[in-house]
Amino acid sequence: MDVLIAARQVSKSFGGVRALHQADFELRAGEVHAVVGQNGAGKSTLIRILSGALLADAGQTFYEERPVHLASPKVAQNMGIATVYQDPLVYPDLNAVENIFMGRELRDRVGNIDWRAQQERAVQLFAELGIAPTFLFEPVGRLSIGLQQLVLIAKALSYASRVIILDEPTAILTQGETERLFQVIRRLRGAQLGVIYISHRLEEIFTIADRVTVMKDGEVRGTFEVQAISRDDLIDLMAGQVARAEMQAGRRIEEVILAVDGLTVPPRVREVTFDLRRGEVLGMFGLVGSGRTDIAHALFGITRPVRGTMTLDGRPLTFHDPWQALEQGIAYLPEDRKAQGLFLRLPVRFDLSVAILRWLRGFLGIVNAAQEERNGRDLVAALEIRTPNLETLTNALSGGNQQKVLLGRWLARRPKILILDEPTRGVDVAAKEEIHERIFQLAASGVAVIVISSELPEIMKVSDRILIMHEGQVAAILNRAAATSEALLRAATGERHEYARAPA
Amino acid sequence: MNSFLRFIATDRPRFLILVLALAFVVFALTTAEFATLYNVFNMTQYGVEIGLLALGETLVIISGGGSIDLSVGSMLSLSGVFMGLLTMRVGINVWLAALLGILSGGLLGAINALFVTRIGIPALIVTLGTLYAYASAALVLTNTVPISGLPEHLFVLGQSKVLGVPFQVLMIFIPVALVLHVALRRTIFGRNLHAVGTNEVAARFAAINVGAVRFWVFTLAGLLAGLAAVVMTSRVASARPDAGVGYELQAITIAVLGGTSILGGEGTVLGTILGVLVITVLSNGLQLASINPIWQLGAVGIVLVVTVLLNQWLARRGLRLA
Amino acid sequence: MRALPLERTPQPGVLRARGIALIRSREATVVAFIVVLGMFLEAVTGRFLAPTNLANVLLNSAGTATVALGMTLVILTGGIDVSVGSMLGVAAVAVGYASAAGWGLGPLVLVGLTVGGLLGLVNGALIGFGGVMPVIATLGTLNILRALTFQLLRAKWISDLPPTLRDLGLGLALGVPISAWVALAMTLVFVYLTTRRPLGRHIYAIGGNIEAARLAGIDLTRALLFVYTATGMLVGITALMYVGQTGIVQSNTGSGFELQVIAAVVLGGTSIMGGRGTVVGSVLGALLVAEIKNGLILLNISGLAEGMVSGVLILLAVGADLLRLRGKRP
Repeated sequence: MDVLIAARQVSKSFGGVRALHQADFELRAGEVHAVVGQNGAGKSTLIRILSGALLADAGQTFYEERPVHLASPKVAQNMGIATVYQDPLVYPDLNAVENIFMGRELRDRVGNIDWRAQQERAVQLFAELGIAPTFLFEPVGRLSIGLQQLVLIAKALSYASRVIILDEPTAILTQGETERLFQVIRRLRGAQLGVIYISHRLEEIFTIADRVTVMKDGEVRGTFEVQAISRDDLIDLMAGQVARAEMQAGRRIEEVILAVDGLTVPPRVREVTFDLRRGEVLGMFGLVGSGRTDIAHALFGITRPVRGTMTLDGRPLTFHDPWQALEQGIAYLPEDRKAQGLFLRLPVRFDLSVAILRWLRGFLGIVNAAQEERNGRDLVAALEIRTPNLETLTNALSGGNQQKVLLGRWLARRPKILILDEPTRGVDVAAKEEIHERIFQLAASGVAVIVISSELPEIMKVSDRILIMHEGQVAAILNRAAATSEALLRAATGERHEYARAPA
Repeated sequence: MNSFLRFIATDRPRFLILVLALAFVVFALTTAEFATLYNVFNMTQYGVEIGLLALGETLVIISGGGSIDLSVGSMLSLSGVFMGLLTMRVGINVWLAALLGILSGGLLGAINALFVTRIGIPALIVTLGTLYAYASAALVLTNTVPISGLPEHLFVLGQSKVLGVPFQVLMIFIPVALVLHVALRRTIFGRNLHAVGTNEVAARFAAINVGAVRFWVFTLAGLLAGLAAVVMTSRVASARPDAGVGYELQAITIAVLGGTSILGGEGTVLGTILGVLVITVLSNGLQLASINPIWQLGAVGIVLVVTVLLNQWLARRGLRLA
Repeated sequence: MRALPLERTPQPGVLRARGIALIRSREATVVAFIVVLGMFLEAVTGRFLAPTNLANVLLNSAGTATVALGMTLVILTGGIDVSVGSMLGVAAVAVGYASAAGWGLGPLVLVGLTVGGLLGLVNGALIGFGGVMPVIATLGTLNILRALTFQLLRAKWISDLPPTLRDLGLGLALGVPISAWVALAMTLVFVYLTTRRPLGRHIYAIGGNIEAARLAGIDLTRALLFVYTATGMLVGITALMYVGQTGIVQSNTGSGFELQVIAAVVLGGTSIMGGRGTVVGSVLGALLVAEIKNGLILLNISGLAEGMVSGVLILLAVGADLLRLRGKRP
């Protein structure tokens, strides 16, 4: 039973936030080894270390029992570790044969590319996977994602890879494509390769995997034979025992402000129906790709739904862009604050005022500097943002303070509905507390808040009701009382519940 | 060496003033008529036209996302031709024609803007196409013959003095520069422009209309080209169909020299003005030294390449542009 | 092993035909345009299909087609070279002086290739090593080289050249201009390069997905140096054709040439974003551009309008490509 790849006591932190702590992992030849855990549990950090995309802070990686230094993805690839990401790294205008052999072309004696040999070899590789490649000459960009994945797996074989890492491979596959992928994986296993399979779809894991490693909070909770563990046990391990947070003293939840009915947003979100009340905190929970952010984007006017209605205070909403959404009183704090939210190379003052510039306007559109100053100082004080001054560039602040700046920007706008997408991701504990406090205060003042979060403790702490998404549809809406961590995870992984209506 | 590089990186304006002073001294010593009041006067006259174009180019480049305008020179030529034709062939009052000339520049810029924002063709290609299309249109409309015989009262714009300073400097360039400076630094439009150039995605998520911002900068570049055309026509007393040839190179060089980042998000009116001064001094000095005009563009080409290489080198050492 | 029911068993012959057909689609469109335009011009002027006129079109397209081969590679990597016109000027001066000094055909070819290659190498170095944006670098060299052309001519021009290059420039073989044969030969070389040599395919990879290309171990700098240098060498060959054709070198030689070349490449189906396009398409594009220029003359439209026509065509072609792509890939 040889071990193909292993990580021993591997740890990694990002700016003080612990992503991985003393994790142990090993993959055997002829095995399909699944890795499960919630978002942020450390799965992707572990995988990135094993695939050479990230260097661990501590611990050692081994390949075929030898200690190795996986300095870069190229090194890992040449060593025999291939990774297929959710977003396949392909050359869209070139065909499958070229995608497989680019950079390592098969040549003839004169140094020309031997197309015939490459074609034959490609057909061979696909045969090893049990696939008849009728798509060999089409531009890969026109193939379905499922086929693109297969091309990359064939490519991995061509590198004589022994380890194939699949990162959430079935997230956007159809049923048929998933079946086909599983058949391919079984053949790989038969050929004594090792497959690391990251997924949150527990049914699949029970179908295809031999062993499963459960991760939580950056630690490995355990590695088990799939036959020896039950779905409930897995969920328990993923969730752990989460103490129910204290109920805040009597918050008044008032009438419905937003009603969403049958919202359908391509590609995944279908028939989403829920309502939101003034003064309420509605948590949105779900695993990667469940569609929560897509709903938020539709509510904020970034994407347009193809079906369904949204009603605000009784008036139907139709917007074409975020500006109109903002005018109606809806604000959205994006998931990736660095890429989608902040203007890092500009001063804090700027980030704080960008949403309310129209209210600060003076003569001829000139921004009233004094008012802007005041806005900035008020927000810094109210949110306790730690920054040397307002002229400091935003990228100099810590993650937590950056998030507060983003929050402050939208608060200045006094929205009726505030949607927060992963508001405390990458934020230190103290700032996290402060942000939660602020959420409570907002709700108490009558604002309707939607908090999208992948963190069980957080969502259970702040929410009055929790809407759980699964594969683009609403799996359940639970009242605070019914929202145990097991219930949440069950719904998020596909078990259906009856809807819980909001309290009358 | 490192501290010198840091100096260039962090205090671009002071660096440019240094270069300007150096260039001035060099030319003053080597060329007879350079350091005369008359010549300085001439220089600033010429500088207004290229300066207006450079300001427009600066705004376009700040908007980021690869935005650049290669057609500013051709827009100048064509709107100048429009103005000339309206005056001489259609018989409109020259001042009205001037106004229409400026507006026509705006129209040309708006055409650029539409291709970039509506159809989504990269600005590089759009303005490369319009560079040739507009230049060609100017030649066709005039059959390569400059339009002259314009009424003399037009020349007050480009050839007269106010308080000892050329009219167009005091009454056109300085006000325009001031307005743009304030607009860029203090108005909502300027804020939105910086936002879009710094992080386009974040700007969209911040509910800024990215398309509108880009539309306006390209149109503004066209308006400024139209204004420059009017000034130039007034100064040289004719509307030449090839008036703007090579001006896009100068405009881009000046913007980049003045500290505008080619990636977007950064750029100042002050930096661009200093860049205008440096390039104007350079061109004028070469001209007085009896070096063929073609080397003015050649020299600017060298300045462009050296400046960008320098910026790249600085960036690699982690020193930001200021 | 039984194939899964989702795909049928492939047959190599059918697949190859399908593959080739896919590539043909854009080129076929260009050919269609060439034919239709030709028919239109013949119908309206009656002079298009005259053998001397057709020979002229071929003659005029030869230089554009030759450089378009290199420009295709440049644009495939996501770059651009607007300095080819000025490079032509400098190369023509070098060739002109050498020819005036009595050099033979062989040495002249060497001069063209070397001078052109060096100029291209400078661009390649600025872009590949210096990291300068292609448009900026070549905008700079465009102007520097134009000044250099003037400088080398010392405000005069070169004329009264020995007939060494005249055959290349104006001669016919089998009724077809020799320079067209040369362009054809170069086309074959570049077709070979882009379909059989790894470097040729790496260029497509760089434009298609630069991250994947890096991961695959492709040497970016080497590829960039190559495409710009090759373009320069092709300009050198075109300089020979040009000097042979006109017998004169002036300070504005080559001015505006870059527009024709870029128009040819864009019309021929190469995507401005990189990663997609063929050299054959660009050669067809060059034919179309020459045909359009010819059409303007036959229709008595001022030659000055060429810029408008080319500029608008570029915009229409790129725009149409973009809109079509948006339909296919959401």
